[in-house]
Amino acid sequence: MKTPEVHIKAVNLAKSVKVADGSLTILHDISLTINHGETVAIVGASGSGKSTLLSLLAGLDLPTKGEVLLAGQPLHQLSEDQRAAIRASSVGFVFQSFLLLPSLTALENVTLPAELSGISDARERGLNLLRQVGLAERADFYPAQLSGGEQQRVAIARAFITRPAVLFADEPSANLDAATGQKIEDLLFKLNAEQGTTLVLVTHNNELAARCQRQYKMQAGSFTSTDLKELSDVG
Amino acid sequence: MWAKIAWRLFWRELGRGELWVIAFALFLAVVSVVSLTGITEGVKAALMQRSAQFNAADKVLRSSQPFVSDIITQAQQQGLTVAQQMQFDSMLFAGDNMQLATIKAVSSGYPLRGQLQLEAAERPGVAAEVQLSPGQLYFEARLFDLLKVQLGDEIELGMSRFTVAGVIVNEPDAPLSVFGGSPRVLMHLDDVAATQIVQPGSRIGYRYLFAGTAENLQQFEQALTPQLNVHQRWQKMDRESAIGSALERAERFLLLAGLLGIVLAACAAAVAANRYSQRHTQAVAVIKALGSSERQIRLLYGSHLLLVVLFSLVIGSLAGQIAINLAQWGIGIYLADYRPAFSWRPLWLGSLTCIICALLFAARPMWRLSQTPAIDVLKQPAAQGRVDKLQLFLGAAAIWGLMWLFSGELVLSLGLFALCAVFAALLVGTATLLLKVAKPVAAGQSSARRLALANLRRRIWANSFQLITFSLAIFLALLLYFLRAELIEQWQRQIPDGAPNQFLVNISAAQRDSLDNFAREHQLTLGQYYPVVRGRLTSINDEQLQQEASKEDRSEQRVGVGRELNLTWLADMPANNQLLSGSWFGSDSQAQVSVEQEIAERLQVKLGDKLAFSIGGQMVSATVSSIRSVDWNSLQPNFYMILSADLLADFPATYINAFYLDAERQLLLNQLARLLPTVSVISVDNIIKQVNDIISQVSVALSFILLIICCAAVLVLVAQVQATLEQREQELAILRTLGARYPFLRNALLMEFALLGAMAGLFATVLAELMLLIVQQRVFELPFSPHYTLWWLGPALGVLLVTLLGWWQLRRLLQIPGAQLMRRVLQG
Repeated sequence: MKTPEVHIKAVNLAKSVKVADGSLTILHDISLTINHGETVAIVGASGSGKSTLLSLLAGLDLPTKGEVLLAGQPLHQLSEDQRAAIRASSVGFVFQSFLLLPSLTALENVTLPAELSGISDARERGLNLLRQVGLAERADFYPAQLSGGEQQRVAIARAFITRPAVLFADEPSANLDAATGQKIEDLLFKLNAEQGTTLVLVTHNNELAARCQRQYKMQAGSFTSTDLKELSDVG
Repeated sequence: MWAKIAWRLFWRELGRGELWVIAFALFLAVVSVVSLTGITEGVKAALMQRSAQFNAADKVLRSSQPFVSDIITQAQQQGLTVAQQMQFDSMLFAGDNMQLATIKAVSSGYPLRGQLQLEAAERPGVAAEVQLSPGQLYFEARLFDLLKVQLGDEIELGMSRFTVAGVIVNEPDAPLSVFGGSPRVLMHLDDVAATQIVQPGSRIGYRYLFAGTAENLQQFEQALTPQLNVHQRWQKMDRESAIGSALERAERFLLLAGLLGIVLAACAAAVAANRYSQRHTQAVAVIKALGSSERQIRLLYGSHLLLVVLFSLVIGSLAGQIAINLAQWGIGIYLADYRPAFSWRPLWLGSLTCIICALLFAARPMWRLSQTPAIDVLKQPAAQGRVDKLQLFLGAAAIWGLMWLFSGELVLSLGLFALCAVFAALLVGTATLLLKVAKPVAAGQSSARRLALANLRRRIWANSFQLITFSLAIFLALLLYFLRAELIEQWQRQIPDGAPNQFLVNISAAQRDSLDNFAREHQLTLGQYYPVVRGRLTSINDEQLQQEASKEDRSEQRVGVGRELNLTWLADMPANNQLLSGSWFGSDSQAQVSVEQEIAERLQVKLGDKLAFSIGGQMVSATVSSIRSVDWNSLQPNFYMILSADLLADFPATYINAFYLDAERQLLLNQLARLLPTVSVISVDNIIKQVNDIISQVSVALSFILLIICCAAVLVLVAQVQATLEQREQELAILRTLGARYPFLRNALLMEFALLGAMAGLFATVLAELMLLIVQQRVFELPFSPHYTLWWLGPALGVLLVTLLGWWQLRRLLQIPGAQLMRRVLQG
């Protein structure tokens, strides 16, 4: 079967939340299309709604209005468990605060998604990925025993273990110093290129955004521009 | 695959504390229920067996009609052993002498329980455990003197002649009355027919004695009861004795006290489960984001709870069963022939308690955990301290359910539950108010103190809950400590050291001087002489009484007491009696009677009624001038009817007296028997020993419960402090970063816990004093006396316990360098 050209599609997405005196709209009328293997950055200041958009595109949350299609699947019509099944098979995540499980070792954290999906060679895959991120010798360390940069490398290895078709990264280097952050970004793009994964990256960092093929700029819940030059005033 | 992950997570999480707290809480619940029910069952069984020994059987059916072979066949078919017994009064003749005696004729096999000890003519001075053979007649010792006969002499009974074969030394089911009665004679049932004493209309008591397993006995009783006629009834087994009622009170108290410990432990489990769930919220969000379904999460964390429950259940049941076996071994030491039985009841009751606690206290947070949405992976963790109303409701329902399960009484459980709810509400209200008031007070304080107060106030809801559990824990420990002391003292007061243990019955007026001399000579302290005249109540307000209860004509005629009463006259009311209505005799009271409350109710007698007694053929009338309550638990001569002196003084009376004799001087009793052969000596040493043994057993059980409650209390404190660990970590990191130094943080922390402990201790003290007041007045019927020790012990215990536990758990946190702490907080 030929994979469709369009990997992620959002049509007129809107998201509002209930607050004490009525409701607050976080996203207005967002439409976008991301093709297979593309790298896309969503750029914006804090509170601009970029993380909310990421959660809708990844199927972590449901939109109040509009449609989201991931690999042709209408996420907005699916239940929590159906979306979880899609995430398990074709989505990877890298979070700003790493979010490793403290009671599992580095290797166990990496193999967790594979084990949840019932992949039989999880351990080999995990060791291989740890080698690729330069942490083979720390496989049995617990997160508390690793530095921030090392933890994020484990998180990247975890994101790639199920060989996902799409990777969502939420401010992957924001909690790290500049040099470590740079290394993490390099690693992310390297693995992404090797595996031909679609990358959706949320950041407020222009330089990082510039490494992606396309950029969407967000302000107050809407896209303002997709032009990189205009992004220079962000952040 | 999820099982592998679940097991891995479980194994790693064991090191983090909460699972151990849940496991230990459930273990405490199981071990306390199993051991308490098991031990009280054991003591109860021992009591029933002892009572069986006193009845010579496990079960006795009394009848006024001749033996029915069908009943015996049914019992044998049910696997029971059966013996028969007849009892009647008859004259014995020895030459020119005659004496009315109570004859007991028993079948072979008697006694089924206990020991019959007889001293045979061939072996004088040796009491042996024997069974009676046909053709033999055994006498109570005093009968020899009354009939002027010796062993081996011939006696006439009805149409038969017998040789006196020996002396009755110990008859297991002899009437345990300090008043005695006619002298007793034992013969074999097969010899009764030849005497031709049994004629139509003779007053004869027939008894069927049964022995066997509890199950067979119960089935037999259930099957036979519907077939019984009005002349047949089951004999009540010793349940109303002093020991029986003391034990019943003790059992209820033990279970209820045990229950409070269980509730505390369950609270600890709930707090720990909540924290476990809170700490795993983010992990669950991550796992869900990575593609796990809700079902998988439920399996993952459900299996953790299941493993903990199984572990606690197995270890708790084992420990409980060991405690039961130890207790049974202890009972076996003082109760000969004790046959301990294994029972499943404690085990299933323990398991049920564990499952109720796990499901209703700990399962809800785990369930809520599985519902964490995947989107939470992008959010800050939700604030702690939200009250889950459903969990509160489930917890309350579980507490009430357990109260009902243990007390077996709906009304009692509802009342107790309502009381607890009111206490909880009062505590929350007061705590909240106090913490709010603390704000202006804090203004002028040192900064460490201000921080401590600010901390307490900020976590106002969490702290109110902590305060309740701390207070409850300290309250229970205090209450039980003081109550245990009071309960034991109360029981021991009933049998003070040196209380009379030898009762002398049937003392004639002429023998009083000899007895006084004997007592003086041997330095024995005699008590009061109680005169006794036997008489029958014949009419109330001139209405003739029916002497035996029977169904047919109950409505037409008032029912009497059905036997002769021991009547006495006393100038002063006995110390263990209480006047309920009317007034005690004055010096010039004429023809009056004071009636005991229970028999007054049974006979429907009230003040001013006229009672007529037949005494030795003469009629005596008396007006009811007072109603008394009598403490039947006291080992003192007690009387249903006490008459004014003018009525009885002229009748020939015998006297009762009592003295204390220590174990080393028991031989004096033989001298006394030789000096006053017609006086019967009844020793209550065995009863006193039995009561003391049970008291010490119950005290051990009480100490055990105190230990369980203390463990549960510490567990609650640990769980509570653990629950705030993360939040405290964050705060400390911020304070450290802002430059707060170690001594400042330490002082603030110590002060916060000391304040919390002092408040909890004070609440606990007030509650404990209130409860003790109620118990003293309602249960022990004693005037209220405040417990001064309580007032310093309670708050001191609160401060010490809470501060130490808080410090013990948090000191490591204070020692972590600021930068490391900050990193831990940032990394979640």
